[in-house]
Amino acid sequence: MTRPNRLRLVLRDLGTGAAFASMAVSGQVPIWVLGLVVLALFVALMGRRPFARAPRLTAVLLVPVGGVLYLAVASGQMDLVVAACSFAGLVASQRLLSDTSPTTDGQVLLAGLLMIAGGAALSGELLFAVCLLTFAVLASLSLGLGVVEAAVPPGEPVPVRQVMRPLAMGTTLAMLGAVAFFILFPRLNWNMGARRASPGLGTATTGFSDTVRLGGSGTLKSNPRVVLRAKLTPDPGVEQLASYWVGRTYDTFDGQEWSTIGAPNKRSRTRVTLRRGAEKQVYQKIELLPAYGSRTLIALETPAKLGNALTHTVTGDKRTQLQELGGDELRFVEQGLGYAYEVYSVPPGTDADPGKMAQKEADQLLALPDNLDPRVEALARQVVGDEKDPLAAANKLSAWLQREYQYTLELGGDVADPLVDFLFVRKAGHCEHFASALTLMLRTLGFETRLATGFFGGERVGGEYIVRAGDAHAWTHVLVPGRGFVTVDATPPAFRANQSLQLLESLISLYEAIESAWRASVVDYSFRDQMNFMRDLSRSRREPGKEQRTRLPPLRAWLTAALVGAAVYWTWKKLSRLKPRTPALEATRFADAMERQLATVGVGSRDGETLEDVSARLTREAHPLAPTVSPLTRRYLEARFGQQPLQPGEASRLLKDLKQAVDSQRKQQASGTRAA
Amino acid sequence: MGRTYLVVTFGVGLGALNTGNNLLYLVLGLLLSVIILSGVLSERCLRDLSVRRVGTDGAFAGEPFACRWGVTRGKGHAFALTLSEVDSPLTGEGGVGYLPAGAEHVVRADLTAPRRGPLKLTGVRVTTTWPLGLFAKTRVFPLEATLLVYPRRGFACAAPADVAVGNVGESNNPHRLDGTGDVAGLRELGEHEDARRVHWLKSASVGKLLKVEREREERRTFFLDVPSGLAGDALERRCEEVAEQAHRLIEAGHEVGLELPGHRLRPGAGSGQERAILRALAWLGFEDQREEAA
Repeated sequence: MTRPNRLRLVLRDLGTGAAFASMAVSGQVPIWVLGLVVLALFVALMGRRPFARAPRLTAVLLVPVGGVLYLAVASGQMDLVVAACSFAGLVASQRLLSDTSPTTDGQVLLAGLLMIAGGAALSGELLFAVCLLTFAVLASLSLGLGVVEAAVPPGEPVPVRQVMRPLAMGTTLAMLGAVAFFILFPRLNWNMGARRASPGLGTATTGFSDTVRLGGSGTLKSNPRVVLRAKLTPDPGVEQLASYWVGRTYDTFDGQEWSTIGAPNKRSRTRVTLRRGAEKQVYQKIELLPAYGSRTLIALETPAKLGNALTHTVTGDKRTQLQELGGDELRFVEQGLGYAYEVYSVPPGTDADPGKMAQKEADQLLALPDNLDPRVEALARQVVGDEKDPLAAANKLSAWLQREYQYTLELGGDVADPLVDFLFVRKAGHCEHFASALTLMLRTLGFETRLATGFFGGERVGGEYIVRAGDAHAWTHVLVPGRGFVTVDATPPAFRANQSLQLLESLISLYEAIESAWRASVVDYSFRDQMNFMRDLSRSRREPGKEQRTRLPPLRAWLTAALVGAAVYWTWKKLSRLKPRTPALEATRFADAMERQLATVGVGSRDGETLEDVSARLTREAHPLAPTVSPLTRRYLEARFGQQPLQPGEASRLLKDLKQAVDSQRKQQASGTRAA
Repeated sequence: MGRTYLVVTFGVGLGALNTGNNLLYLVLGLLLSVIILSGVLSERCLRDLSVRRVGTDGAFAGEPFACRWGVTRGKGHAFALTLSEVDSPLTGEGGVGYLPAGAEHVVRADLTAPRRGPLKLTGVRVTTTWPLGLFAKTRVFPLEATLLVYPRRGFACAAPADVAVGNVGESNNPHRLDGTGDVAGLRELGEHEDARRVHWLKSASVGKLLKVEREREERRTFFLDVPSGLAGDALERRCEEVAEQAHRLIEAGHEVGLELPGHRLRPGAGSGQERAILRALAWLGFEDQREEAA
């Protein structure tokens, strides 16, 4: 027995690890399963196979583990697909740690294949593609080495180097074949089984609470994770959107934190209209990602209509309703990993009707905390002067704050009066301090304002805009008579968007761009895309603005035609090289043709008489046709039963001889009849 | 493994069609293209191969013997080839991991023939499971030959019949009987031979033990026989017994002759005689085939 090739085992184990990772990236595999598989993988990579001594006992141990998973599914604590995938991972682990043999290798890699299929069902992450690719390459190399190793006589070295190149080429061809199949195989139904979102391996980083407390520290601004994707129509076509994405507003400040007095609306709806009119509204198809971690809807300022909401859950997508809360907040009724919905927003700079506000809510726009330091109002008056226009006053005060105060995320923690601390002591703070200061200072002067929170920014990736966790922001809404609420931002412009490391940001943007392409070209690939692909192969696309296509087919059409032509030629050449095979029933047909010809001269077969019997009878009777029929009959028997098939053209040649004999016999019969 | 792979592929395909999940379509595409690729690459491996048998010395029934084939590929490389005899009761196979273009590679296999007699070999089967071991592809190369299988080697319970020719003495080993007459020559001392016949002077000068050979060695002659009328297991057992007795006697230096129904073998000594006896025993009961082969 030759010792198994170490490289092959390492490749096998790593391939299995990649297969398990394709499921693990969904974040749904139980942590204990994850731990056990990672441990098994580590031990296997160290070259140790502790289960080799007791393979049956360790296999029996899988039964209670399967039972635990079954109970988890039965009690509704675990998804069936997740349980099946977890069990496949554990089976693969048990096999990894068992004795190495061709059977074990096969079982390990087949378990890997099942895990890959499970990963496809659990998530549509880009990481799945990486894991699939890794598994395909490593498993192919490992299997190939295994095949060669089995053929090498004991004691001889395995020709690893010679094997690797053709294996790598073969794997590449298999990948290309997979892509071709994926593109060309017709999609007959909608993509129902794909899971748009999975918990992933990270936790949610943003969210909305019912209150905004000033103080603490603002590490969120340096987080580059993507929380929102949006496709806008009409497309602004800019790289940096620099827009306000509102989540909710706050109207009550108690000296420490902001809250809302508006009562939640108990009625849930699939579509909510906040403002009438749809003139030139900006349409957004928004997707909130698992990193977002809240149920509050986000929309470009100022949202008018929201609806068509879907919740991404671990078992797939489902429709969800929206519930209105105080502070213009809309929430998804059901909790999910992520959400997709559609929004129409009033274009920026357009006057927007604030809608019907309750008196209590309207009064709250001027409310001040009971113990507000009088210096705040004095400072506001000093800056604004006797300006009566709310927007002009807000801009003046905003510009002053930006000029005189520093932006910082390094805060001293909780203080008794954070606003006074910001305005008179530290003179530095983050967006919530700037926004709170502007809002309250304007209220001290009698202007109706409120605090808005959400995100600021929007970075173009592909055809979409992404918003990061670090884009979380707070600003001020100033109620301007006749114009509605107008956004005024006191935070210095340079600090409104996220402030993460440029390198990290670039890397995440690159990943997002690749993932966007992956989603568009793989996860969401559909029959329509296939039709477009086929059409684009033969016709030129209609350019926007151009009514007529060019007359000549595009270059790709020529290339396609050349490829198809080459494929047809190659196939024809291959087929023409093949030896023409005699059809299986050629001998029977030959016998039928003989009998038909013999029947024309009255020597057909009688009841139950075979061709052999006919030939024997003609010989006995010394019939003139016997010398011709006898060799033909022998040839028929050889072809039918003697595994000596008739050669091409042989049957027709033999039948021609028979026909000549039959014709001469017929002439003789005719002359004999005339003589008689 | 290939069957399980096909079942998994079928399952993934069913899942893809049922759910429309594009990732499952991608996995299905990969699985299907691997099947096609396996077929193409294994077919390429078997293309342009030529196989020949490298002589086999003969085989004893029931024990492995070395069989060798010479495999050559004109163009391109071949991987993971397994060779075996087709349509024959010979068990066992040989393999080659990597076969470069143009060079002949001799594949050795330990085959086992189950029974005595001439074995008609019709061809060599070359199989490959390259590249992934999922499916096997086979090609048969017609190569006609006859392999003679000698009787099984075992124990001879019965002692040989009385000596036909030769003196009767205390020693039944002619190697231990000193010959008479003049010195005929010197040869290397063989196994079990009497060390008293070593020519020490010459041995010391040459550096190996040399034995003096005299004109007349004292040998005894035995005649072994397979009676007529035996068939089946009884015949097989007798053939095995005779072969074993002949081996023992020839090794001891005696001359052995063979008496078979319709065939007689003159007494002789040495390995050539033993081979002749084995061949005669192997053909016993298969004379018709012998005529065909002739």
